[in-house]
Amino acid sequence: MVNICVSDYFYSFSFIICYFSTSVYTDVPRPRGVSLAKASLYSPTKDFTCFDGTGTIPFNYINDDYCDCFDGSDEPGTSACLNGVFYCTNAGHRAQNIPSSRVNDGLCDCCDGTDEYASGASCPNICDELGQEARAEAQRKAELYKAGSQLRQELIEKGNKKRNEMAEQLSQLEKDKAEAEKIRSEKESLKDELEKKENEALQVYRDAEERERLKKAEEENEANKKEAEETFAKFDSNNNGQLSINEIVTRVVFDKDRNGEVSEEEAKEFIGERESIDLENFVSETWPLLKPLLMMEQGLFQTSSQTSDTEQTDTEAEEDDKEAIGENEDVDQEEEHLEEELPHDDVESIDTEPKQQYDDETQKLVDEATEARRQHTNAERTVREIESNIRNIKENLEKDYGPQQEFATLDGQCFEYEDKEYVYKHCLFQKVTQKSKNGGSEIGLGTWGEWAGGENPYEIMKYTNGVTCWNGPSRSTSVYVQCGLENKILSVTEPFRCEYKIEFITPAACDDSQPSNDSFHDEL
Amino acid sequence: MKAFVFLLVVIVISNCLAVDRNNFKTCEQSGFCKRLRNLTPNKHFHILNVDSLKVEGNVATAEVSSVNPEGDTKTLQHLYVFKLSALLDGTFRVELDEESPIYPRYRTQLALVAEPKADELKLIENKDNHVILQNSQGHKVTITADPLKIEFLDKAGNVAVILNEKSLLQVEPLKKKDVKVDGDENAVAVEEPEGTWGENFKSHHDSKPRGNEAVSLDVAFPDADHVYGIPEHTDKFNLRTTTSSDPYRLYNLDVFEFELDSTMALYGSIPVMYAHGPDRTVGVFWHNSAETWIDVENHSDGTVVSSLVNLVTGSSKPKRVDARFMSESGIVDVFVLMGDKPGDAFRQYTTLTGVAPLPPKFSLAYHQCRWNYVDEEDIRTLDENFDQYDIPVDVYWLDIEYTDRKKYFTWDLEKFRHPAEMVANLTAKSRKLVVIIDPHIKREAGYFLHEDATDNGYYVKNKDGNDYEGWCWPGSSSYLDFFNPAVSKYYADRYLFENFPGTSKDVHIWNDMNEPSVFNGPEVTMPKDCQHYKPPQDGLEGISAYWEHRHVHNEYGLWYIRATQDGLLARTDGRYRPFVLTRSTFAGTQRYAAVWTGDNMAEWGYLAVSVPMCLSLSVAGVSFCGSDVGGFFKYPEAELMTRWYQAGAYQAFFRAHSHIETKRREPWLYDAQTMGLIREAIRRRYALLDFWYTLFYEHTLDGMPVMRPLFQHFPQEKETYTIDNQYLLGDKLLVRPVVEQGVTSVQVYLPGRESGTIWYDVDSYQAIPANGFFTQNVNMAKIPVYQRGGTIVPRKERVRRASPLMAEDPYTLIVALDSQNTAQGSLYIDDGETYEYKQNKYIYAKVSYESSSLTYKIVNDQASYPTRSWVERVVIAGIKTAPKSAKMVQGDKQTALQMTLHKGNDVLVIRKPAASMGQSWQINFVY
Repeated sequence: MVNICVSDYFYSFSFIICYFSTSVYTDVPRPRGVSLAKASLYSPTKDFTCFDGTGTIPFNYINDDYCDCFDGSDEPGTSACLNGVFYCTNAGHRAQNIPSSRVNDGLCDCCDGTDEYASGASCPNICDELGQEARAEAQRKAELYKAGSQLRQELIEKGNKKRNEMAEQLSQLEKDKAEAEKIRSEKESLKDELEKKENEALQVYRDAEERERLKKAEEENEANKKEAEETFAKFDSNNNGQLSINEIVTRVVFDKDRNGEVSEEEAKEFIGERESIDLENFVSETWPLLKPLLMMEQGLFQTSSQTSDTEQTDTEAEEDDKEAIGENEDVDQEEEHLEEELPHDDVESIDTEPKQQYDDETQKLVDEATEARRQHTNAERTVREIESNIRNIKENLEKDYGPQQEFATLDGQCFEYEDKEYVYKHCLFQKVTQKSKNGGSEIGLGTWGEWAGGENPYEIMKYTNGVTCWNGPSRSTSVYVQCGLENKILSVTEPFRCEYKIEFITPAACDDSQPSNDSFHDEL
Repeated sequence: MKAFVFLLVVIVISNCLAVDRNNFKTCEQSGFCKRLRNLTPNKHFHILNVDSLKVEGNVATAEVSSVNPEGDTKTLQHLYVFKLSALLDGTFRVELDEESPIYPRYRTQLALVAEPKADELKLIENKDNHVILQNSQGHKVTITADPLKIEFLDKAGNVAVILNEKSLLQVEPLKKKDVKVDGDENAVAVEEPEGTWGENFKSHHDSKPRGNEAVSLDVAFPDADHVYGIPEHTDKFNLRTTTSSDPYRLYNLDVFEFELDSTMALYGSIPVMYAHGPDRTVGVFWHNSAETWIDVENHSDGTVVSSLVNLVTGSSKPKRVDARFMSESGIVDVFVLMGDKPGDAFRQYTTLTGVAPLPPKFSLAYHQCRWNYVDEEDIRTLDENFDQYDIPVDVYWLDIEYTDRKKYFTWDLEKFRHPAEMVANLTAKSRKLVVIIDPHIKREAGYFLHEDATDNGYYVKNKDGNDYEGWCWPGSSSYLDFFNPAVSKYYADRYLFENFPGTSKDVHIWNDMNEPSVFNGPEVTMPKDCQHYKPPQDGLEGISAYWEHRHVHNEYGLWYIRATQDGLLARTDGRYRPFVLTRSTFAGTQRYAAVWTGDNMAEWGYLAVSVPMCLSLSVAGVSFCGSDVGGFFKYPEAELMTRWYQAGAYQAFFRAHSHIETKRREPWLYDAQTMGLIREAIRRRYALLDFWYTLFYEHTLDGMPVMRPLFQHFPQEKETYTIDNQYLLGDKLLVRPVVEQGVTSVQVYLPGRESGTIWYDVDSYQAIPANGFFTQNVNMAKIPVYQRGGTIVPRKERVRRASPLMAEDPYTLIVALDSQNTAQGSLYIDDGETYEYKQNKYIYAKVSYESSSLTYKIVNDQASYPTRSWVERVVIAGIKTAPKSAKMVQGDKQTALQMTLHKGNDVLVIRKPAASMGQSWQINFVY
């Protein structure tokens, strides 16, 4: 072992700089802080040229604790250059490059202690110890991966099986779909055909119905006219065949604004600018306006303006309340009635028409058409169901379940984790949620997005678009997936606001073909 | 840290961040401000009774009476005692109190570092209603008796400061609520102006048990171009005319999302004002801790009527600035600082209120804070990341969330299970921790502090004499009454290691919310009729037995941080220097704590205003000032963040901080280039750390600000009077941070054209002769900093993880030559953390260069410090003729040195002189 040290020249506070030392493990002498690979660049027999070529200096300027090269290459073993690098061999453990600023700063950075040779700090060589620990850790990890990879193998098989099943299911469904579509179009033709016949048969009945309807309308019209004439006669107090304003204002029914008296203005609303009105005009103009008021007076119905009018005086409101009670009951009944009808409405709308008695032949045609419609509807439903299944399976097949489908069987499986305040739930490939232990609703921390690891994308599952934070972004979660012998959440944290981090272990991540830990290479 | 956020939910729904002005009073809404501002002098003035004048020692006293001039005969209204004291170092003090007030009026207690030292005061003349007095320096004081006017003359005999020229002097006499008996023998209150015995603001009522007791004084500064000071505001460094707006307000308030360019009150109040012009610099220190409003009228300002008249009449503008101080209570107590150079006036102020003690060195390095680093794991990861990205940092900070539900002096033991271990892990790397401790105390049964305070009556009382309850971070809270010595002692003891487990000498303290902030109080603070401790005294009872919060408000935070400092000193038996950060400030704050500018915003305007805000604080004694790097509210994009780090690296207190609701922004969370620029900015700080440390040491000697306005060293140069986007560090570096978005160049003013000053760009050593403004190109890496020719700046180029690790590292001396080829500098070295420097364990050396030699001379032979540091490099910029050889001489050793001359920029580099900094040395040059 050779040590070349120069005692610093002149001064009383002399510090010692050892710019050459030899490694115990090698015969190649090299300046302090230089790796074996770079040793040949430092030749004691000639001047040194900075790596960047910017300068050439005498060899004894190497490691003399003064920075001569811009790139720091002249001071590999001191802290003189801000951008320099110190190499520690760390025999027995991993070699390391540390920034020059950590040389002789009093803190032990290299496990072999070589970075603190003049600071007075005591840095024993602990590389063997650390190396052993690291190797033991690597061993432990390797064993974990070994055990885990068997489980993973099972997951792969199951995953592939599941996937194959899904693929098979899919092709079966595609076939089923074709079949179902065929049936649907058959049923459609049949339905069309039978409906045509049904229509023809029913036309007779419809014509009859139309005649009946017209007749009824005529009768109603007559009755109405009669009522108008009777009313006119009743209002025409002096029986002069003219209904005058004076006569109108005595009739409470004209009190449209319900202020207790009939003003001339109100009267004119019914008879226009005339002084009086004759029967003919009364029937055509006044009666349509008056009829609703009369009906209202008789309590037959409520006008829309009344129901929405909330600014009535107290007494009126009371009266209205009384009225409203009965009427509301009517409305309720109507609604109930509607509800009962709804199911029929759904598919077979024709059924909602009033039941009518047909002759046997027609009835048969109607029944046949009804049956055809039912079958067609069923056929359509089948097609929709198959299509929906196809979509689901395709969606799943498109999901990335890992390079070997090892995550496939975990889809939809949920794992919980509790901390002081919350219960977190991670449903793989679905969503992450958080629920307060003090109650309150579940908060979405993200739905499945994508794999988002770096070199190995399958190290991080990213869930995005969760519930939006107050005054901030929408919540998201990164699930860090590591090898473990069971599926389990190890921790949940929120390192960034509204960005959650879950540590999750699963055998699915125990891929021992991946270089899982740093390789050890001792420079020996 | 943060302000008043519980109402945030309501306020910020619009997502538009801005101060809610409605929470804070205008002058019109502040009873006394409205009253005094409307005072017309011709109805009321004062006369000094010259016959009563007595001069004893350095003090002249006389009787003064207020006069009502209405009618033919002047009627004397009220009697006062006038007192003028001559103090050492060109300072006078004027006091006016009632001759026999019905209760004692409050005299601010803690602002002065000690009883000011007396100068001599000679009575020169007392005749014809004129009195002339003179101090030992030759400053004269002329008192005109009727109406009272006091003029202070500089040594040349020119009037420099005038008090009460406008007869706005006012000391409202204390009164008792008058009661008369009416015809039915019932007592009825005498009609008095509304607000005399009670005022309302929003939903708050102030009971004003003593009625009106305001004081006011007008001050004129003849020949002054501008006035400065009276922090804390977000305005320009040179103060504006306020005649058409609200006056500047001094009332310590937690202003949520404070606005820029405003005269509104903020967290701090330091009532010292300086007036500067080519002839002289003077100052006044308004010694009053009550709510204060200050009107400014600058006669050369275009908005002032008289100057408009001058413009019309064509007469030359009479340069002059008028100011008027109005305070809600207390007495008139004003110090007049005669200057006459800017530095003189700044020093005179610190002579009165004290200098900042030498800070522990780490506190000048970089601090990393956030509301909040959530747990031990978070701190560990943070620490690992700083090392991984090789960014230097000395201190991590924990905001309020580290506590057990906001109970100070406790830890949230779920998140911080092993605080002592966490701290030990940091200190093993020479890093520190700062934790927050606020003055509000959670009212929770079982909380020892609350129970002790309740049992012992340690809380501030409400107007009815019961413990005052307000709302703050913990919810319902009460506030310790630090005016009671027993409370301060009790509180200081909470910092003892045994009382605050998990702390060590390397855990320091951040005192926030000490205005005090009370979320549900009037103007987010304590009601003015709350009651504070007053030392018991015979005959004082009822109203006389306590001080109202009104009297002491601006001083509250000062008492608080004093207790903290006492506690931190006591925990190491006075061995280690504590570091305390405060938000609230008052005159004297510098003796106890560093200051940051509060809850700013990640916007360019807030970056820009950090410079004038810290300049104002610096000249008001508080050199240890900085702003939250990056901005507290909102998120700074890469460019703003980079520029803020670059600016922060050249401000005394250098800490990044952010609001809990904002995105994280540690340097490595930005793109690699931005991270690199931020790292470079922080490294620049570390390289200059010994320069900063030396400046702070020198501040303890001479009271000079560390961060200085340009006019301090170029007082004749008018352009400098209004430049507040650049500043000087000591008299050596000029800093012009880039505070504008997207610029590729900035205008930099280099002063000293007349004197032939040369400035050197610190990046290139390129010499730039002073010639006013010039255009500096800036890329994202550029921080425009210039070293003045004639100075020497010490640097440490080996930037390490944390500053203590650099203690023994070698120095590079940057010698920037002036036109005479000379330069001077200094260097201070000690252990960085103890008080042993007071036992002569330090090195203070002067470094000087002339053509023949560079000398490093230790100033005090008695002092020494066993440093292993040495000089590794000397860079001489601006050298025209290179020496042929150089020889190092230290003790009896001589060594020839190698040198390299860089022709392009006239820089000579001396390679490795390798002399120890522990002893004097000299390098001799041969040409």
